[in-house]
Amino acid sequence: MSSRTSSWTFVLKRIGYSAVSLVGLSILIFVIARVLPGDPARLALGPRAPQSIVDALRAQLHLNDPIFVQYFYWIQGIFSGNWGISLFTQRNVILDVQEFLPATVELIMFAAIIDLVLAVPLGLVAGRFANSAVDNGVRVLSYLGIAVPSFVVAVLLQLSLGYGTNLFPVIGRLSQSATPPPTITGLYTIDSILTGNYADLADAIWHLVLPAFALALGPIAQEARIMRSAVVENLRKDYTLSEVSHGLPERTITLKYLMKPSLIPTITIYGLDISAQIANAFLIELIFNWPGFSRYGLNAMLSKDLNAIVAVVIVAGFMFAIANILVDIVVGYLDPRIRLQERSEE
Amino acid sequence: MKTRSLQRRYAIGRGITAVIIIIILVIVGAGAYFVLTPSTATTTSPTSSTPTSSTTTPPTLASGTLSVSFANVPVTDPAKGSDEASSTALVNLYDSLVFPTSAGTLQPDLATSWQVSSDGLTYTFKMRQGVTFHNGDPVTASDVVFSMNRLITVGQGYSYLFSPYIGNVTALDSSTVAIHLKKTFGPFLTALVRLYILDQKQVVANIGSGPYGSNGDYGSTWLLTHDAGSGPYSIQAANLESFMTLQAYTNYWNGTQTNQPSTVQIIGSTSSTQALFSSKQIQITDQWQPYSTVASLAQLKGAKLVTIPTVNEFYLMINTKQAPTDDIFVREAMTYAFNYTAVVNDIFTGSKPSAGPVPSALPGHDSAIPVGQQNLALAKQLMAKSKYAGQLNNYPVKYFWVTQVPAEQKMALQFASDMQQIGITVQVIGQPWLTVVADLANLTSSPNIVSIQDGASYFEAGSVLQSRYTSASDGTWEQNEWLQNTTLDNMIYSALSTLDQTARFKAYATIQQQIYNMYPTICAFDVYEVRAYYPTVVNWYAANGHPIVLLGYDFYFRDFQFYPSQLAALG
Repeated sequence: MSSRTSSWTFVLKRIGYSAVSLVGLSILIFVIARVLPGDPARLALGPRAPQSIVDALRAQLHLNDPIFVQYFYWIQGIFSGNWGISLFTQRNVILDVQEFLPATVELIMFAAIIDLVLAVPLGLVAGRFANSAVDNGVRVLSYLGIAVPSFVVAVLLQLSLGYGTNLFPVIGRLSQSATPPPTITGLYTIDSILTGNYADLADAIWHLVLPAFALALGPIAQEARIMRSAVVENLRKDYTLSEVSHGLPERTITLKYLMKPSLIPTITIYGLDISAQIANAFLIELIFNWPGFSRYGLNAMLSKDLNAIVAVVIVAGFMFAIANILVDIVVGYLDPRIRLQERSEE
Repeated sequence: MKTRSLQRRYAIGRGITAVIIIIILVIVGAGAYFVLTPSTATTTSPTSSTPTSSTTTPPTLASGTLSVSFANVPVTDPAKGSDEASSTALVNLYDSLVFPTSAGTLQPDLATSWQVSSDGLTYTFKMRQGVTFHNGDPVTASDVVFSMNRLITVGQGYSYLFSPYIGNVTALDSSTVAIHLKKTFGPFLTALVRLYILDQKQVVANIGSGPYGSNGDYGSTWLLTHDAGSGPYSIQAANLESFMTLQAYTNYWNGTQTNQPSTVQIIGSTSSTQALFSSKQIQITDQWQPYSTVASLAQLKGAKLVTIPTVNEFYLMINTKQAPTDDIFVREAMTYAFNYTAVVNDIFTGSKPSAGPVPSALPGHDSAIPVGQQNLALAKQLMAKSKYAGQLNNYPVKYFWVTQVPAEQKMALQFASDMQQIGITVQVIGQPWLTVVADLANLTSSPNIVSIQDGASYFEAGSVLQSRYTSASDGTWEQNEWLQNTTLDNMIYSALSTLDQTARFKAYATIQQQIYNMYPTICAFDVYEVRAYYPTVVNWYAANGHPIVLLGYDFYFRDFQFYPSQLAALG
């Protein structure tokens, strides 16, 4: 079997695993959402709606049917673009996904960039100069990052850099005076680049800094520690000692031979952290009044919005699966042994 | 080969480094750009706060955006929205046939005059000429027909006010509309403030797929982010989970007012209120903040605390079908053991003890009913008469409070402490709102007591009496009393059908006395909204002692004066 075929098999296998996981997840969340207390139709229409209207809505939502029939209708709707009406926003859930998901994706994307930009160099430096003052400094920062919850970081950032010094805005995606760029992807930064609106681009990035950093701090701390440990471990390996003894420049050893193997565990955790950000973003979006998907999910749960709850979990699961597939591919690239192992198993 | 591979990897490494540096530069640059560039949001025209001296020129709208926080983003479909934020938006986006005044009366709005048939079943309205919707379409009688039919068909929001009564609605000509009722409804005109008139043509043009046959979704999806109204404001932008921006309609039939805010932002979140108000990014807080928070915000430079009466009341709803509260002596003893003064002084500061089940600010309230007062000696005497006397240990009282309102826990603990003095053990249980709603759906899962705020939808006592005490509200969060009293039902429906207002109000008074004597509810206090605002920035009629206490009408933004240039003076 050629190397290219092997790579495709590797990717397809992971997609297959993810698809099975998503189906399982959809069944689980669908059942859980429907055993929560309260009649969703009555909740949607309010206490004063005539019972006939409530009954009609129950019929429309198939709430009187057995749960597996409800699941069948739901799956049918998913593929036909009808994700059901959100009781919270009163419209098709797919419209909510289209409106709110890009805001969260943009936030997570920037958090991921900040995360990668800071975690890898911090871990590398800390590992390369282990037990030095620099390492200790990074260690303290890491402990703080891990120990302090992201919502506390968010509030502190708001108070210090938002309200205190007025350096950054504390709510929303754009300034009140700004007009959002025409929707192409729904990501303001990308859309403003595509439409050449650089004032909006700067405004959007300005609004992203605090929430993205608040979201990224925990993962930065965690990954910096993992990177540091991996670097320290690899420094003791024979091949590193051999490179040193052959007189290779320190920069070459660090950036070429030390960083790549050390990145493998870091990237694995990085992928998981990014996937988990959609859940971590719940409070961040609430604090920064960020009109995103996580906040939508929170509202959906508070108002027992069945269709929205299921959609949020499925979309989150889908994003998690995509992130994991990408991580597997990157790790496979960084560590050929993983791909070779797959090949030998065939 | 190996050298080429190494070179390629070095190139990739340099590329990644370059990308990282560019990203950092962009972020820092963006921050620097905004730090060094003056914000346009805070600059205002010097003429914006200057009253217009000429009577020939149109009034000057205040530039800048007035921002107010609410619990949620409004639902702006007039057939669906009915909460505080939604009512506020509807009042500003749409006109109704009649409009309430701060005196509790009605004034003409889209209808300039009306006639009522002698049997009280037909109301004929003459429509105002020359009124246009925001898109320029003329407002006609057929729009009223469409709006009423749509409201009743969709069956949500304020439709319950009209559904039992409306027979048919007919456009007699383009400016005359007749509404025929199936049965008489005394407060019908008063309730009409909740019929918001939509542009039929525009709604029909924006119909999507939905459950209403040929009417599809009746334009519901479109109406969540757009409006089809003729009110003093139109929707400029909407994000259904964070904000809605309204823009003044400069061709409004009643004109614009000097320094009326040109733009209003409704922020649908209470979690950032404190910080946003401190930084002047909102100018009026929502009413859901704890009193201590609002009081501290009012200490800020230029800020002021204001309490505004509402037609809402806080009830401790007593289950009359479960032991031991099925015994009237226990219920009566509880009403005398409760320390009303402590609650309004220390917990819900600013509110006032209630006098019976109808809020005092509501026309039709019976002023003969005394304000609740603690009398422990009397409470103990009453307990001695109860069939549960001496065995109360076997009947702990289950009390639910809603966890979304933390102050309710303090009231619950106060209640438990008060009841302990007459030998009643209270189990205080905090429950999320949805669990409370679910538990109140069945008699068996309903607690002995639940604390809930409720109020009137229109400006008469009948609104509260119907929603709180008829059997129709059994199993909803509006009634934990489970009265199931046919006699009372008939009295309430009979009063509502009485056309003569004096006779109707007399009937309301009798009903209130009847309810009072059954002790189904501890009427804790009349709710006063407590908010902080900046009086030099916003001249707000409700804060100046002229509130229209009906839900939403305190925020009729056309009657606000906004002076954004004063924000700078506050620092």
